Amino acid sequence: MSETIILRIENLHTFFYARSKQAFVRAVEGVDLEIMQGETLGVLGESGSGKTITALSVMGLVSTEPGVISGKIEFSSKGLQQNLLQDLDQYVQHQRKNGRIMAVQKDCGGWQRKTERLMGDIRGKEIAMIFQNPQSSLNPFVTVGKQITEAVQLNTEIKNSREAQQRALHWLERVKIDSPRLRYHNHPYGLSGGMCQRVMIAMALAAEPSLLIADEPTTGLDATIQAKVVELLMELKAVLNTTTMLISHDMEVIGRLSDRVAVMYGGRVMESGSVQEILRSKDGSNHPYTTALLGCIPEEKHIKDKITLQAIEGDVIDTMNIPGGCRFYPRCNQKNDRINQSCKEHEPALKEISPGHWVRCWLYYDE
Amino acid sequence: MTGMKQYAQASLMVTDPSSRSMWKQAAAIDLLYVGYGLFIVSLVVLSYILGSLNFLPHNPQEMDLSLLMAPPGVAGHLLGTDFMGRDILSRLIVGIQAYFVPGLLAIAIAITLGTVFGVLAGYRGGGVETAVLYLGNLVDSFPRLVLILLVIAAFKPDIYYIMIIVGLTNVPNVLSQVKGKINFLKQKNFIEAAVALGLKNRVIIFKHILWYNCRSLFIIQATLGMAEVILIETSLSYLGFGVQEPIPSWGNMVQSGANYLLQGKFWLSTTPALAILFTILGFHLLGDGLNNILEGRRST
Amino acid sequence: MKMKKTILEVVNLKKYYHQGRGPFSLGRGRQRTIPAVDDVSFYLKENETLGLVGESGSGKTTVGKTILRLIPATSGEIFFDGKEILSLSAGEFHPLRKDMQMVFQDLDAGLNPKMRVQAILKEAVRVHHQMSSPEVDDRIRTLLEQVNLKESKLGNFPHELSGGEKRRVGIARALAVGARFLVADEPTSGLDVSIQAQVVNLLKDLQDRLGLSYLFISHDLRMVELVSHKVAVMYLGRIVELGLAGHIAHAPRHPYTRSLWSSLVTKESREVSAPTSPGSSGDWGVFDFERSFSGCRFAPRCPVYQEQARPDICTDPVSEPQLYDVGRAHKVACHFPLS
Repeated sequence: MSETIILRIENLHTFFYARSKQAFVRAVEGVDLEIMQGETLGVLGESGSGKTITALSVMGLVSTEPGVISGKIEFSSKGLQQNLLQDLDQYVQHQRKNGRIMAVQKDCGGWQRKTERLMGDIRGKEIAMIFQNPQSSLNPFVTVGKQITEAVQLNTEIKNSREAQQRALHWLERVKIDSPRLRYHNHPYGLSGGMCQRVMIAMALAAEPSLLIADEPTTGLDATIQAKVVELLMELKAVLNTTTMLISHDMEVIGRLSDRVAVMYGGRVMESGSVQEILRSKDGSNHPYTTALLGCIPEEKHIKDKITLQAIEGDVIDTMNIPGGCRFYPRCNQKNDRINQSCKEHEPALKEISPGHWVRCWLYYDE
Repeated sequence: MTGMKQYAQASLMVTDPSSRSMWKQAAAIDLLYVGYGLFIVSLVVLSYILGSLNFLPHNPQEMDLSLLMAPPGVAGHLLGTDFMGRDILSRLIVGIQAYFVPGLLAIAIAITLGTVFGVLAGYRGGGVETAVLYLGNLVDSFPRLVLILLVIAAFKPDIYYIMIIVGLTNVPNVLSQVKGKINFLKQKNFIEAAVALGLKNRVIIFKHILWYNCRSLFIIQATLGMAEVILIETSLSYLGFGVQEPIPSWGNMVQSGANYLLQGKFWLSTTPALAILFTILGFHLLGDGLNNILEGRRST
Repeated sequence: MKMKKTILEVVNLKKYYHQGRGPFSLGRGRQRTIPAVDDVSFYLKENETLGLVGESGSGKTTVGKTILRLIPATSGEIFFDGKEILSLSAGEFHPLRKDMQMVFQDLDAGLNPKMRVQAILKEAVRVHHQMSSPEVDDRIRTLLEQVNLKESKLGNFPHELSGGEKRRVGIARALAVGARFLVADEPTSGLDVSIQAQVVNLLKDLQDRLGLSYLFISHDLRMVELVSHKVAVMYLGRIVELGLAGHIAHAPRHPYTRSLWSSLVTKESREVSAPTSPGSSGDWGVFDFERSFSGCRFAPRCPVYQEQARPDICTDPVSEPQLYDVGRAHKVACHFPLS
């Protein structure tokens, strides 16, 4: 694996404004992520963690206002190097209080036009995305083969329709759709959910993107089908070595497919590191949130000895009312007297506790 | 700076959403709509009461042949007189009589029958639903104006006959909306859950479906229905089939006044026309604003 | 150990849907019969949980709804507390609704969007019981405490609640009538991982405290294994395997059960990130009811059928495998059960 960084997200802020509540939805508040060439980064989080919004911000697809308001998204591949949020400052002004953005002025229209210009050559070609609900993401009136062919013609050098068609068939075969020549002429409604997801994957890969963003690719599929999709993604990863940002709430999926994992909570990365360190940690040196999440999954010991699950107390974070201090503090079960004060008042920075393993928790600060 | 959108200070205070009333959450524009609409509605109701108590500045039928087509303000006629020297203001106020009760009748017919058939179709489903929907489509496919003219030709140009037809032709509209609401609740497994709990059908229908989930729909239908009634009477009057002289209605006032427009006597038809405009606007804005507030279109 | 009473027994339950032509449709479209539930039998002991697993379209939800008479059954018998309930008239069945309730998959089910939580619970408490206002308030307070919901939520509308809170209100509503038996239809689906654990813990806690019995319908195999005493595996309307939870998970006899559980990746196998053995998860695609089948309905996807070089008995129309006892309270419907 080379050490080239393909995508570096720095201090990304993406907010929405809830008119009825007169408050900001702090969907993403200070996310830092890095994706290396050829690796799969698993982004793990519950609802409200901001994982999907981070991905949409990268794609420039956040249309709700005010949207992306601060941060850097550096994308580099094939000699192309660009900050996808370049000149953002020109359109946005914000005021901070205690280090957090409290008021925003943004020329949303101007920024949107600018993004469209900037992303036109990148979206779909350099960065492709697979969405949840494959059936609703495909055009129901066009055969799946035609849709892939169009993706090929639009996003690659192949413009000749016969060649593009060959290419589409090749991709249908690649994602292991049986009898691809027959399926080529099927409409999405004639295919099962698993098949549609394969078609989506084929469409995304047909552009031969430098970065693939897969947003909950297995959610909503039956267990046996999920396993098949995960297997397919694993095979594709081995063969094509695609750089992937895999977003999921499913620890199994993340655990099987990722090289590195970032755990998000309330719009921020709480922990990141190799998959071994995070999901299979032996010494338990994790962020309390990660530890607690792992405790929510039933395992052999729970079933055999009838132990109750260690549920995380409280509710999923309300992104309109993110507490000052550590955002996990209200639900944390590892708070102690030594750090209580710090937890309540200040949010810790990410700290590298072992090479490549970053944790955002006061437990790992010595005072 | 131009083009900048200002976002208010984000509140970090923990606020209990239930403490905020429905009204506060509504956007100011909706309140403006509803405020204007309510003002118009109260004017209409007031006019109706004044008219039925005969509490008017002048006798609407009294002709003053010395003051034909007097401009507004002359000799105590605040809005002037018409081509027969009758006081326009008084005729405007009395004119509402032509719509008020017949309009309510049309609305009542539409809502009652629409609800009955909507519940039948939505709640029972199956063959009943198919039959009701076919019937609704049948009614919908009749051009309404033709139907009204047929009835007028067969009987007489009576506003009540017209309004019964208007009410009947509105039934499919209400029906489909009630059915839509029921389908929505069904989709959310609401009705199944209510049955599982042991609630009686009549409780589910009257309390949960009609009272809680359809009442806003009824209010909106009523306001929009009233506006429609006025419009239809106006078009019919213009064709000469509406309320017949000498009983005043806004429609026949516009129609008779229009003959004198070219002579420069614009107030004869403009005054009732403006009354129609502002009243319909009022009802529509009221319906629209109520819709947004009650159904929460803007607050999400 | 004292023998537990059987609270629910389902005998040869069938539910066929007739997908027919509309009254005015033209053409030669023939009427199809879809066996959503096909000859299902099982029983449930008091204060125990029976897990019902299967993929979407396997008919597990239909079984639950038929038991509560939300869907009329085509044939079969259901005994609740020893009393046959399918033959009862609606009026005779009504009082039984206070004993059996359902937790719906849809978080919003039963929560009238225009009513506050307080009104929703008040209504549920009063459906089957005549109570004075202070008694109702008392009861609501007890319910809130049982499902671990803050009293401040009483004034909220359903859309102001989070998913976990809606689920708790749904459970409270089912308990409000005094139910002893709950059909829990995918109670954890659509919830976050941390909330799923809360809900499962709550259901187990309520079972211990109130002696409830559950029919736990889920596609989450781990959760089913965790909460259930016995598990029934359904495939296309039929129970293909039935046994103690541990046996089903770790010593499955039906190829379908094995492929279901092997689609799960245990924490141990997560370490060796090797793909599961080919063929273990069965073939691709979902079964469509339109294709007629003969014999075993799992045969088209069955790895054993392939291994055994497609024996005729599996597709013989007259010998669809029936559930039979293989010992240790374990039943399987397969011609070639795994050992």
